[in-house]
Amino acid sequence: MSPTSSSEDLKGDTARRKPGRSGSRSPLIRFLARRVLTALLLAVGITLVTFVLTNLVPGDPVSANLGQRALGDPAIVAQWRAEHGLDKPLPQQYLMHLQGVVQGDLGTSQQSHRPVMDDLAESVPATLELAGAAILISLVAGVAFGVVAALRRDRLTDHLLRVLSLIGISVPTFWLALMAFYVFFYRLQVTPGSGRIDPTMSPPPQVTGLYTIDSALAGQWDVFASAVGHLVTPALVLALYTIGLLTRFTRSAVLEVLGQDYVRAARAKGLPGRVILFRYVLRSALVPIITVAGLAFGSLLSGTVLVEAIFAWPGVGQYAYKSATTLDLPAVMGVGLVVGGVYLVINLIVDVLYGVIDPRVRLQ
Amino acid sequence: MAIRSRRPGAKAALLPVLLTGTLALAACSSGGSSTTSQNGGTTTAAKTLVIDTSFDLKTADPGRTYEPTGLIIGKAAYETLLTFEGSDVTKPVPALAESFELSADGKVLTLKLRQDATFADGSPVTADDVVFSLNRVRDMKGTPSFLLDGVEVAASGADTITLTSKNANPALPYILPNPALGILNSKLAKEHGATADTGDKAEQYLNSASAGSGPYTIESFNVSSQVVLKANAKYWGATKPVYDKVVLRNVEAATQKLNISRGDSQVALNLSGDQVTGITGDLQIKKTPAANVIFLLANQDPSVSKITSNPKFAEAVRKGVDYAGLLELAGEGSVQTPGIIPSMFLGSLPQDQAAKRDVEGAKAALKESGVADPTVKLEYPSELTVNGLSFQPLAERIQANLKEVGITVELAPAPITTALDNYRNGKEELGLWYWGPDYPDPSDYLAFLPGKLVGLRAGWKAGADKELEAAGAKAATTIGDEARKQAYVDVQTRLNAAGTFIPLIQPSQNIVTAKSVTGLEFHPVWTIDVADLK
Repeated sequence: MSPTSSSEDLKGDTARRKPGRSGSRSPLIRFLARRVLTALLLAVGITLVTFVLTNLVPGDPVSANLGQRALGDPAIVAQWRAEHGLDKPLPQQYLMHLQGVVQGDLGTSQQSHRPVMDDLAESVPATLELAGAAILISLVAGVAFGVVAALRRDRLTDHLLRVLSLIGISVPTFWLALMAFYVFFYRLQVTPGSGRIDPTMSPPPQVTGLYTIDSALAGQWDVFASAVGHLVTPALVLALYTIGLLTRFTRSAVLEVLGQDYVRAARAKGLPGRVILFRYVLRSALVPIITVAGLAFGSLLSGTVLVEAIFAWPGVGQYAYKSATTLDLPAVMGVGLVVGGVYLVINLIVDVLYGVIDPRVRLQ
Repeated sequence: MAIRSRRPGAKAALLPVLLTGTLALAACSSGGSSTTSQNGGTTTAAKTLVIDTSFDLKTADPGRTYEPTGLIIGKAAYETLLTFEGSDVTKPVPALAESFELSADGKVLTLKLRQDATFADGSPVTADDVVFSLNRVRDMKGTPSFLLDGVEVAASGADTITLTSKNANPALPYILPNPALGILNSKLAKEHGATADTGDKAEQYLNSASAGSGPYTIESFNVSSQVVLKANAKYWGATKPVYDKVVLRNVEAATQKLNISRGDSQVALNLSGDQVTGITGDLQIKKTPAANVIFLLANQDPSVSKITSNPKFAEAVRKGVDYAGLLELAGEGSVQTPGIIPSMFLGSLPQDQAAKRDVEGAKAALKESGVADPTVKLEYPSELTVNGLSFQPLAERIQANLKEVGITVELAPAPITTALDNYRNGKEELGLWYWGPDYPDPSDYLAFLPGKLVGLRAGWKAGADKELEAAGAKAATTIGDEARKQAYVDVQTRLNAAGTFIPLIQPSQNIVTAKSVTGLEFHPVWTIDVADLK
């Protein structure tokens, strides 16, 4: 489901709206209800696809989880299969999983022997913190760079920013992560080492699972400083690609709007450049920027595997990788569901934001 | 077309300022961390030790533990009846037991239990705890249950434990030091669901808190990121734990190198030969041959391969491999393995019996085999590394070596879960694998004989080599170190002659430590004993 088609849905709903109707029948609520229903169906689809694909992979989870000696003992192998429900037919396994999902139980991980929900409750906040910081940096830097590049079109600043954004898009993230860690941590010694906080510190009491927020809430400012310090380099590394992307998109969107008649009219009226930029240009240009940012956030969440590995960041990327390589079906399906869910939620937010940012969408 | 306003540019200019500020905060944080770490060598580090390792970890329940990281944790938090002193695995010594004796027929092992040992909660370690713990491992049917397969455990009185096997079991004293056989506080464990059968429910509890008598206890446990151990304040042993806290972090090898070089950690466990080469500064590097043996397997089942089941073909392969070249790839500290039993174990073959490259001999053997221009498929796990050494370059080198002999090798790497299936089912024509010891006794390697676990993976059915099988049966029941040594030398000499398995190398286990850390010993089973580190 693309954000574009969804926005068309929203426009359609809005167009059919009859003035004076009560809030309960508002097109926005109808739109949201329909999207939530679609999301639920998609979630079921995600579990089915993940289940089928994981079972199609050649290889036996038993081989990945038991030692060589244990593999030679049929009693141990049978016990392990029974323990993880693998002794049942595939359709039954899938239905049992689906039943668990409905009840909020994603099953037990074969690698950690813990409920997948508990594992995800630890790893998802770590990735959210990393990806959230990265998208924040990307939005601030990418939009600012894009606007500056558009305003300084074909000047030196524009050329420099173009080169920078191309570098951001082209350089492989794993290489950049290794280089950043080497240069800033090892050579220059200006950033802390791997992990989320200094190993000598204890994590803050869990509220959100985001160490920066939890430590601030607990007033543990030394832990807060450590958490922010550990976050900076991986977040910057992760952000660089999105900065490049947003710079390019913002530049072209701003340039397109700058050429519109209403901008010329505003200028002719003698409005200050600041007002024109923020009230007329940037607001109109934000629609494609938000689309890209939304999708980028989703891909940041699901694409942090290598950065997490290099910075020993205990996020969902590392969890997903380990689960996939050990054919840990409940964990793989749990991660699939979470990542798919994140995409669905982001798409929904993006669609709603269209209406907030662009009054034309609401009025159509 | 430009809007004449400099403000956006000015705001954009704020960005570098903001980023610089954030970096400054990072630097401040780094400073704190760095200070701690640098102090790591002197004052503060006497309290906290940071160990970086690539986690291979599933559980902290000793009855289910079988992965390297789990064994490190198990060794620190639990104690076993017997142990090994330092890295010497040829002689088990008492731990929770004060003495032990194997009967003349090798079937009954009698142990006297110490009366002064206590668990972390202060309660005494009793014979009942021992019986419960060992029965639990055996009957829970977890990964390590085979260690006590067929062994009856009984207590007579408060201080005597007997372990009775149906057949002579001279390996039992070498098996008992395995951290999987750590003794649990049975009362505490039972309160949290422990039972000595498949219905045991104590794992979740044992992953959050330990119930052992070791020098450290588990403070926090995360299977994919970090495990924190804290000193057992009531440790009964003479040598008290040195560190208040030991942090084991899951870190990739490349990051481990930078962390320890910068002083962010004090121990790095998984650096390859190449990675330790460039390490400089105030660091210590311990290079020891690991007990992992990398070998080639030539399938003996003609229905799988008419080529590899030809004895002369196997001889050509054995003579065609450039062992020195493989050692070069594996790095300093690695050794060639003359037989399938690793160099530090009782019964290992002397280096002068190691195979040597003989290209002309290999060509002659190939000619004798009657197989012209053979093409064989070599299967191996693509992403697996052993002691930092990847199988890919080894496979490529073997391919090049055998090309010179006239054998075309098609490389068939596969993810480990896929590759293991073919290996387990005995379907590989030529395989490149490794064997890590389950316990440091030569009897563990009888699995390579016809009809046994690994032998069957090479399509080597029982009865395929009766003399070798008889030698193996004799070795399994021989009592006495010298007699056992001779028996296993005989088994390996025959095994090498058969050619089904071609032992290659033992890669080096490279452990890097800060200069402040002393007492490190590499151990073939549990890698390091945290309590050794001072």
